[in-house]
Amino acid sequence: MYDFTAWMQASTLGHFMRESSPWTYAIVNLGHVLGIATLFGSLVVLDLRLMGAWRRVPLATITDVAAPVAAFGFSLAVLTGIGLFATKATEYVGNPFLYVKFPAIGLGLINVLVLSRLTAWRDRASRELSPAERFQLALAGGLSLGCWLTAIAAGRLIAYW
Amino acid sequence: MKQSIVRRVVLIAAACGFVALLSGLSLSAHHGWGGYVDQLSDLSGTVVTPVSMAGPHATLKVSAEGHEWDVVLAPPPRAAQAGLKDGMIPVGEKVTVHGQRHRDPKKYEIKTTRLTWNGKVYNVYPDRE
Repeated sequence: MYDFTAWMQASTLGHFMRESSPWTYAIVNLGHVLGIATLFGSLVVLDLRLMGAWRRVPLATITDVAAPVAAFGFSLAVLTGIGLFATKATEYVGNPFLYVKFPAIGLGLINVLVLSRLTAWRDRASRELSPAERFQLALAGGLSLGCWLTAIAAGRLIAYW
Repeated sequence: MKQSIVRRVVLIAAACGFVALLSGLSLSAHHGWGGYVDQLSDLSGTVVTPVSMAGPHATLKVSAEGHEWDVVLAPPPRAAQAGLKDGMIPVGEKVTVHGQRHRDPKKYEIKTTRLTWNGKVYNVYPDRE
């Protein structure tokens, strides 16, 4: 773990983050916040719909919009996050919130993978779902909300350790 | 009926998360001034690691009072405005930092309002004097 962080810190990206300009970190940090806001903003709508809110709005209508926006926000957060981490990577070793954040992200991604393979998800636009299928989607939505809330809370707390 | 239960659970979970977040903020507060004693004091020593302008805060390391201290300066733009640059102040130089020490006496960290080196004063937080 330490070797990996030392390598990241010594990388071109690490040097760029530290030495290019006093504003670099601030701007990349802004990108990270915007990425998270975009991800969570779209995700909360999607997950609550999966959990049964706003039934009058067809599920496919919401997923068509929210899923790509969430994916974009996630990508932005990952790209900027790598930069922020590389700045002083070795200082994060032993930070307990890190060990909450990344497993939560991992679990969130596994949840996305599982959800996308459910027949209930695949057939969401083509037919009426059974109560059991709706329950599956609600479960995935709840799990998703829990994972990302945990990841964001732990991520913010990294700075306060 | 099932829907309202789901909603209630979500609301409660969100409230719990929010409270956990707020209580977490007072844990050790690396940012801001909450984690440091109110009293300002001087710390004189020799530079171990030159000024780093890496975010979120500019820093340097100073050997003083028999320990290696993490000297936390302002965020990089503000530190730059005070006249500091990345890699400034060579190892072994004598400096005096003025600021607030960490609340935990075993944590050798000082949040700095001004740094004096070679007769020049770098006021990173002039408004806190």
